[in-house]
Amino acid sequence: MNNRSPAGRRYLKRFIPAMIVYVISIFGASYGFKLFDLTGPVAWAVAIAPALPILAVIAIMGLYIKEETDEFQRNVLVESMLWGFGITLAITTVWGFLEMYVHTPGLQSFWAFPIFCAAMGLAQPFVRRRYR
Amino acid sequence: MKNRLKVLRAERDWSQADLADRLEVSRQTINALETGKYDPSLPLAFKIARLFGQPIEAIFDDGEA
Repeated sequence: MNNRSPAGRRYLKRFIPAMIVYVISIFGASYGFKLFDLTGPVAWAVAIAPALPILAVIAIMGLYIKEETDEFQRNVLVESMLWGFGITLAITTVWGFLEMYVHTPGLQSFWAFPIFCAAMGLAQPFVRRRYR
Repeated sequence: MKNRLKVLRAERDWSQADLADRLEVSRQTINALETGKYDPSLPLAFKIARLFGQPIEAIFDDGEA
């Protein structure tokens, strides 16, 4: 992400509040299920709450790509995202077959997004280095 | 793609940051263009050509001609 471009600054202005909502909702959901016997539609709503800010972050990433006018910076991010997608699909595919045949512990599917973010973040310096 | 950006920039005594400001891109973008590792889009190539007052093919060389 290029934090000095107007699009980069707008990205941060959207990303930070979304992450604050995420932290609050994940603590809220954890305590909610610990303290109360949540069932039915309420349980569904509380369980989905932490997912909503993550959906917002996915949209916020999309908006950044749409709004970034520096084509090289956009290109670096898109390439990094492709690495992120590839690595996430590779890990979840291998893990899935291990789970199926040799019964390794299950990987909860919410991990897909953090794995994607980590892989994209790790890929970025390597993508940048190719253009130096 | 090979290009004469570095020469044209030096002739005007501009730093990479100066050229970046004039093209409304980041300094890393100028660097990637100058090393020839990143080829600009057609709109950015036109913007560069206009800034230096030269045709695109006088600045960028695709090695075909």
